Amino acid sequence: MDTAVEIRTDPLRSALWRPLGGISRTYALALVFAFMAGAWGLACWGYQIVRGIGVAGIRRPTMWGFYLVNFVFWIGISHAGTLISAILRLTDAGWRKPVTRIAEAITVFALMIGAMFPIIHLGRPLVFFWLLPYPNSRLLWPNFRSPLLWDLTAIVTYLSGSVIYLYLPLIPDLAELRQHSTGWRLRLYRLLSIGWTGSDRQWRALERAMRRMAGMILAVAVSVHTVVAWDFAMAVAPMWHSTIFGPYFVAGAIFSGIAALLVVMAIIRRLLRLEAYVQPVHFDNLGKLLFLMSLLWFYFTVGENLTTWYGNNPAEMSVFGERIRGRFAPYFWTMVGCNFVLPFMLLSNRRVRSIRTVTISAVAVLVGMWLERYLIILPTLSHPRLAAATGFYAPTWVEISITASTFAAMTLFYLIFCKLFPVIAVWEYKHVAHR
Amino acid sequence: MWLTAEFGDVQSVAAAIGALKARGFSAEMIDVFSTEPVELPEGLLDRPSRMSLVAVSSAALFCILATLFVRYTQAEYRIVTGGMPLFSWWPTSVIFYEFTMFGGISATFVMFLVESGLLKRSRAMPAPVLEARRIQLRVGCDPEHVSAAIECFTRAGAVRVEKAGDPS
Repeated sequence: MDTAVEIRTDPLRSALWRPLGGISRTYALALVFAFMAGAWGLACWGYQIVRGIGVAGIRRPTMWGFYLVNFVFWIGISHAGTLISAILRLTDAGWRKPVTRIAEAITVFALMIGAMFPIIHLGRPLVFFWLLPYPNSRLLWPNFRSPLLWDLTAIVTYLSGSVIYLYLPLIPDLAELRQHSTGWRLRLYRLLSIGWTGSDRQWRALERAMRRMAGMILAVAVSVHTVVAWDFAMAVAPMWHSTIFGPYFVAGAIFSGIAALLVVMAIIRRLLRLEAYVQPVHFDNLGKLLFLMSLLWFYFTVGENLTTWYGNNPAEMSVFGERIRGRFAPYFWTMVGCNFVLPFMLLSNRRVRSIRTVTISAVAVLVGMWLERYLIILPTLSHPRLAAATGFYAPTWVEISITASTFAAMTLFYLIFCKLFPVIAVWEYKHVAHR
Repeated sequence: MWLTAEFGDVQSVAAAIGALKARGFSAEMIDVFSTEPVELPEGLLDRPSRMSLVAVSSAALFCILATLFVRYTQAEYRIVTGGMPLFSWWPTSVIFYEFTMFGGISATFVMFLVESGLLKRSRAMPAPVLEARRIQLRVGCDPEHVSAAIECFTRAGAVRVEKAGDPS
C-alpha cells in the first residue's frame, strides 16, 4: 500500500491509528452524503450571489435572519473545544486525554463555518474585503467603534489561536506517524511535524507553550463570545440592550459547545470503534458539566426575562409578549424544554445518566441553543421601537439549505480530519507510563 | 561526536545524567529523547526559558501598535462621528485587547519554535529512531571523554550504547 500507515504491535498505537487506514462502508456513505449536502449549500449560495440577497427572506426591519442566527450559533459551538480543552488542561483533569483533540478540532471547524456567515450575509461576498481596515480613495474606512469590526478582530485572533492550539499537541503524533508512513502521508506528516525529534528541549517547550496558550486562549474565547453578545447589546433595541448579555452569551456558548462535543464523541466512538478510549466516564463527567451549564443557562434566562417583565417597558414588553405567548412562543417553550427540562430529567439522576441519555440531552441542547439564537435575533428585529415598523420574517429555501449544509460541512471536515490525524493524542496517553 | 545510550526507565536516565554532570558534561551537551515527555527530577536538566517574558513583551508591543494604528487611521481617514471625538478609548479597547492577545499568542508559538530548536536543526546531528517505552540519552563529547561517558551510561544501566557523528 502506497499511502498506508504501518501499524506495529503496540496495542495503543494499533487502536488509535487504526481509524487512519481503510474506509468502511458507513464512513464512505457519510462522506458522500456530507459532500453532496455541502455542495448543495454552495450551489444555493452561488444562486444567491447571482440572483442577489433578495432570494433570502430578510426584509426591512428584520435585516438579520438565519445567517446571523447561524453565525452566533456556530461561534458558540466553537467554544466546545478550545475553552473546554483549556480548562481541563489548566486544571490537569486526568480524564481529559481522549476529549481534548476532538474538542479542539470542533473549535477550528466551527469557527471556519461561523466566520463564513457574515460573508454570506453580505449578499455581495466579492467585496468582503471592505470589512478589512485598509485605506482607500473612496473613504470607505471601517468604523473602529463598530462592534462588527470588534467581531472581525476577535474572530481572527480566536481562529489563529485555536489553530495553533490544535496544531501544537499534534506535532509529536505527526512525528511518530512520519516514522511509520509511506507515500503522500509520509510527505504530509514530514511537512507538518517540522523536524520533531522528541528531545527533552522540545517536550519542555511544548509543555510551556501549551500552558501559556491554554491561559491566553481562555481569555480570548471569553472575549469572542462577549463581543458577539455586544453586537446586540450595544444597540438600544428592546431586549438586547442588557448588561447581562456578555456573560449570558458566554454561558450559552459553553453550554452548546459541551453539547456539540458530546455528540461528536458519541459518533466518533461508534464510527471509529474507539469504545475502549472514549469511555462512559467521559460521558458521565461531561454530562455533569452539561447539567451544570443547563442550570446556569436557566438562571440567566429567568434573570433576563424576569427583569424585563418587572420593568414593564412597552417596547420591551411587546418583544417579551411575542416570545412568551405570541408568534414565537412555540419556539420559546421548545427551547426551554430542550435546554432545561429534558437535561434536568435525564442528567440530574446518576442512575438515569448513561451514554445514550447524555447524547440525547446533548442533541436536544443543540436544538435548544439554535432556537435561543433565533429567539434573540428575530423577535427584537420584528418589533423595533417604532410600532409602525413591525415586520415579519420567514426563511426561504435558500437560507434553509445553506443552514443545513453547514452541518454537513462540519461532518465533512470532521470525517476528513479523522482520516488524516489521530483524534486522540497518543503521546498524552503514553505520558502516564513514564511518570 | 555523539554517544547515544538507550534506557528502559526514567530513574536510570536520571542516574546517567547525574553521573555525566559530575564528570563535567554540561546540560547543553546532553539531550534526552523519548516518544512522550519524561519527567526528570527538578534541577537535573533544567532548560531556561524566556517564553513568558517574550510573550508578555510581544503582547504589550501589539497593544501599542494597535493603538497607534487605530489612532493614525482615525485621524487620517476621518469618518463622520456626529460631533463625537474621532479617537476614543472605550469603543476601541476591544480592538486593542484582541491585538494584545494576538501578540501574546503569536509570540508563544514563535518562542516554541525557537526554544524547541526546530528552527536551528543541525543536519550533522543524526535524528534518533525512537521506540515506545524506551528513552535515549545523547551526549556530545570529545574523543578523549568517550570512555568516561560510556562508563556513566553503563553504570546507570544503559541497555545499549552507540557512537555516531564526526569525531571532530
